[in-house]
Amino acid sequence: MSEPSSIRQRRASNLALNGVSFPATRPSPIPRPTSLASVQSTNYSDTDHSEILSPTPRRHYLLQQQSSQWLQTTGTISPPLSRPSSPLNPNSTHRTHRKQKPSLSFSSLAERHKAQKVAGINSSLARRWVRWMHRNRLKQYVLPCQMLCAIWLKWAIGLGSYSGQNTPPMYGDYEAQRHWLEITYHLPVRQWYTYDLPYWGLDYPPLTAYVSWICGYVANMINPAWVALDVSRGIETPTSKIYMRFTVLALDLLIYVPSLWHFINYSPLLRFRSPRARQVAFLTVLIQPALLLIDSGHFQYNSVMLGLTLQAFNFFGQGQDLLGALFFVASLGFKQMALYYSPAVFSYLLGKCLLLGWKAGTKHLILIGLTTVSTFVLLFLPFLYPAFPTHLIPPVQRIFPFARGLFEDKVANFWCASNVVFKWNNHFRPSVLPKLATGLTAFAFLPSMWALLGPAISGFGSMDANTNDEKGHEKSQSRVPAPTFSLLGHALFQCSLSFFLFSFQVHEKSILVPLLPITILMAASAPTVEGGDWEWGVLLNNVACFSMWPLLKKDGLSVQYIALVLLWNYGIGHNPLRQSALKYFTNSIYFAILVLHCAELVYVPPSRYPDLFPVLNAVLCAGVFGIAYLWSLKRLVELSWAMGSLRKPTVHASTSKIPRPDQPTGDVRSNGSASNVREPTASLSSSLRKRNPVNRHTVEGAPLEQQGVNVVDLSEPSGAK
Amino acid sequence: MSSPKHSKRQSLTISPASSLRIRTTSIPAKVPLDQLLNPETTRSSTIPEETKPTGWLGISNIEWDILVVATAAKLLLFPAYRSTDFEVHRNWMALTNSLPVSKWYYEATSEWTLDYPPFFAYFEYLLSIPARFIDPKMVDVKNLGYDAWSVVAYQRTTVILSELVMALALRSFIPGSVNPRIQRIISASLFLHPGFLIVDHIHFQYNGFMFGILLWSILMARNDKKLLSGILFAVLLNFKHIYMYIAPAYFVYLLRSYCMTPSGAIQFANFVSLAQGVLAVFAVSFGPFAIMGQIPQVLSRLFPFTRGLNHAYWAPNAWALVTTVDRVLLQLVKLRGLQVQVDASGVESTSRGLVGDTVFAVLPNIKPIHTFAITIAFQMIFLVKLWRNPTYKSFVTALTLCGYASFLFGWHVHEKAILLVLVPLSLIAGERHGYFRIFTLASVSGIFSLFPLLFTPAESIIKVVYSLLWFFVVILPMSKQLYEFPTTPIGVVIDFLERGYLYGFVLLQAFTSLYPVVAARSSATANGDSLARLEFLPLMITSVYCALGVIWAFVKLSVLYLREKF
Repeated sequence: MSEPSSIRQRRASNLALNGVSFPATRPSPIPRPTSLASVQSTNYSDTDHSEILSPTPRRHYLLQQQSSQWLQTTGTISPPLSRPSSPLNPNSTHRTHRKQKPSLSFSSLAERHKAQKVAGINSSLARRWVRWMHRNRLKQYVLPCQMLCAIWLKWAIGLGSYSGQNTPPMYGDYEAQRHWLEITYHLPVRQWYTYDLPYWGLDYPPLTAYVSWICGYVANMINPAWVALDVSRGIETPTSKIYMRFTVLALDLLIYVPSLWHFINYSPLLRFRSPRARQVAFLTVLIQPALLLIDSGHFQYNSVMLGLTLQAFNFFGQGQDLLGALFFVASLGFKQMALYYSPAVFSYLLGKCLLLGWKAGTKHLILIGLTTVSTFVLLFLPFLYPAFPTHLIPPVQRIFPFARGLFEDKVANFWCASNVVFKWNNHFRPSVLPKLATGLTAFAFLPSMWALLGPAISGFGSMDANTNDEKGHEKSQSRVPAPTFSLLGHALFQCSLSFFLFSFQVHEKSILVPLLPITILMAASAPTVEGGDWEWGVLLNNVACFSMWPLLKKDGLSVQYIALVLLWNYGIGHNPLRQSALKYFTNSIYFAILVLHCAELVYVPPSRYPDLFPVLNAVLCAGVFGIAYLWSLKRLVELSWAMGSLRKPTVHASTSKIPRPDQPTGDVRSNGSASNVREPTASLSSSLRKRNPVNRHTVEGAPLEQQGVNVVDLSEPSGAK
Repeated sequence: MSSPKHSKRQSLTISPASSLRIRTTSIPAKVPLDQLLNPETTRSSTIPEETKPTGWLGISNIEWDILVVATAAKLLLFPAYRSTDFEVHRNWMALTNSLPVSKWYYEATSEWTLDYPPFFAYFEYLLSIPARFIDPKMVDVKNLGYDAWSVVAYQRTTVILSELVMALALRSFIPGSVNPRIQRIISASLFLHPGFLIVDHIHFQYNGFMFGILLWSILMARNDKKLLSGILFAVLLNFKHIYMYIAPAYFVYLLRSYCMTPSGAIQFANFVSLAQGVLAVFAVSFGPFAIMGQIPQVLSRLFPFTRGLNHAYWAPNAWALVTTVDRVLLQLVKLRGLQVQVDASGVESTSRGLVGDTVFAVLPNIKPIHTFAITIAFQMIFLVKLWRNPTYKSFVTALTLCGYASFLFGWHVHEKAILLVLVPLSLIAGERHGYFRIFTLASVSGIFSLFPLLFTPAESIIKVVYSLLWFFVVILPMSKQLYEFPTTPIGVVIDFLERGYLYGFVLLQAFTSLYPVVAARSSATANGDSLARLEFLPLMITSVYCALGVIWAFVKLSVLYLREKF
């Protein structure tokens, strides 16, 4: 990469005049007269110059013809920066301290980030496209285009084959779902869970059955042959396939996409992200390959369950716990797989009740309990009346099949992977294994529960204060999210991953459940953080797709798999070769995946091990998921530390008067800082507090703002544009 | 709502705020007043052209973006519907591979005999060499209708790869263009054109490849390498003879600007080299067949004059309108009982829907010679203009118009031929708003007229959503850059009507997609027979509505071209 000598000279002069000339990376928006600047800027300089250096007059940044070429210099020489070149500056030309961690100071990090931006490292198709749309004054078309893009992709995947196509007599998941349309539409509710069980008997909770009934009703209106009872079994006409694909797309657009949109625009997690970053985040989750391949390709309705859970998460983030509980129960009622999330959700809600203290907490707990129970009752209503328990037994038995084996097929979880070296079925009785699995699962998800409950127990009652909103109305603290909300995403991830890794009867498609929280966390975070949520999210998405490869191959979706995984990775700008803390880990996994794919192409496994490749696949993926589990532990610890202690202030807020917002003394407790999530600096002071009880009163006496601590208020998520 | 947000933001930035305030108050005082008042003038147009860091392999990031998106989309379309053209090309691959050259144009095992010029046959032979290794059954002449996954994947992949010829040509258009920013959008729009997606990647043909050669040829003309341009066009003609429609423009342009000096003196050396080049191309192509004495047989395969005026589905051209008028008149005659001589075979032709030869019932019938006369008459007008103004821009416009005239008035025009108009038209779309509006009208109506090619419901969503996306990311940004408000009152009215016409496509799409559903439901009831009988009504309406836009765009472009001062 050669550069014109004039530029090199310019850079040399820039370095020589460091501190004198303006940094070129930070151009002032308005050009200042050069003569004034040269005299004045010496005042800013903190280095002593023996004489006043008069810089060569420079044109305004926007007027520099060469700046375009200069911007392209991404090589070893970093662009000139305002900071002097020193060994501690990661952007300096000193290459001796390569091993040293670059994150030495906030300012050097900021400079580094800026340099990355300049060099276009942090650039991706999605970003470039969104930027281009904005520049062409087509901002308002970004969302429609994204939607059209998602619809197109989903439908194009749907052109391919589905699970069990042309494989009589049992077919596959597609036929199961279609069969449910048929039985729910034609049979009375009592028979839904009992009719001809060997042929794809209904084994999902009632909401699936109701949705199937609606779809069956519409299908019957259009063409009764699609859902004729018994006669239509194994129907594979093109139009019936289109109708089934259409129901998936329609439900996806009705439930999953709106809740995703809600998340992107109103979630506290994305509060400080720019509109463009949000649009990129929206696209990132919208075309998540694993979900698209399973829902639109393989054929299932996972997006409904995931969408309902995501909506519950959104409501928790807005402090609307009752609505959140309702949506979560709906999610459970659509597919029992949502149970994977339930310990985390339960802990969060219980933790919030604890934080609210005795009075408000009990009330809140009762309300949530009532909502949950009544939603469940509503869902199971047709199975409750005339004879209460007898009608309820078939659905429950169908939904929780404990009579099956430890795992089915080859799934990338602990049991299947460890089965390679330790045959579980030979060493344990079949009745023990479910208990063992349950115990291990519970042990695995305990940390996520503890992360949500621990701070709540220690901070019992710390949210027990009513604040006024700007209109002076009393605002209950139960309507703001608990401070532990910042942990909820990771807790959901860890909890569901524990279920996936350790629980009983897991399918390979269940990886979608832990994938949802990590994907939304990934979309909400910045791609530039090394080893952060974003990089883990990409890695896990890719590994999850790979873990479903045997399934997709069986379904005849290999081209779709390749196209979509490549498109998504390229689209979000994932470059595994980029300098990162995870670089070697990620690359070695990708390499292993590539080797397995290539080996499968050229090598036919010996007849002794027909399942060689699926097993290797499961072992590799289980290893990655196991490491991801450990990483989520670390992340929970980090986040809990960042959240700080929620210890209640010395004076009980319930005894103090309700303060007015305009009171100048700005009491810490009443201003909602107790309910606030503090930045690391804040928690630093709070951890100091714990260690020095003597100092405690003086620290707590003054408002945090006066202590120079930045307070981030999460209490009211706003739809900040 | 706003007040608490403000307070929060202040609490966030307590310490830096003070320093910030000092800066913001001190600097503007030193800025000259006029700069402050009018910051736009200082920036003016000297903002550096958008920088595109060259990415991997010297291809810029944006070009990679387009390539990756397009390829991923095309890969997803592998299992999509494919027409009989798929089997046609498989059969050609088989017969070129397994038969000696002497039998290529005599082979008739399949009904899809080889009816493209020899270069395309050679091209198919090239494709068949790797195919033999992948799956020998692919290249078996007797294996009719073979559509295993290997053939589908292989043939679709060859379309994707051969289209890279077009990608390269389009990429080379950007440097050296008048407005690189617009040209970049145009190049991308052609590579991502819904027409190619529908015709090549779903319906199945190799148009992207051949239009790639055409674009190379046009590019060479722009870069003043006219000899190469002429030779490339000769090559193209030997791939597919449909490009003869635009050959007159090439002939006139090369003769006037390459073989003659601007003053009119003949440049013999140039003329001879061009003639030699073109003849050499034809010699390579047809030579083997000439030696074997098969030229009459080859020509009889290439030009089968046994087809009707309209194709099964009427291409949106003048004859579609004429045919519609005939059908409407026939209904009038029937209703009123007028004493007009009605052709019985014409009445029969209407009841057969749109299949087969078109015979008019009321209007006088059209013979091939009429269509040729009209086509050539229109082309002559544009060619005279081109002869007088042999510039590049004039050439591309004349090329478009020649293709246009053939499309509108030709005999047995297929709707796919609209690409012959849309591709060169795209190249001049960025000229100014007049051209851009023509481009918009022709593109929208032309692409919509391709929709009936894919009649399966599953692909309907694909084509509609893709075309809509293309419209959003191509037409809208160009419109933002090029739009000029009409200056005359009549211009305002026309502008309004044209917009209304474009919005009408939404209604048309709604009608065509809902009609079959309604017809099916009403045919279930007793009295709904009339709706089902008119099952070709949506096709006819589509054809006529698109024809209006296509013809209007032709009229506008003709007027614009003839009045243009080059």
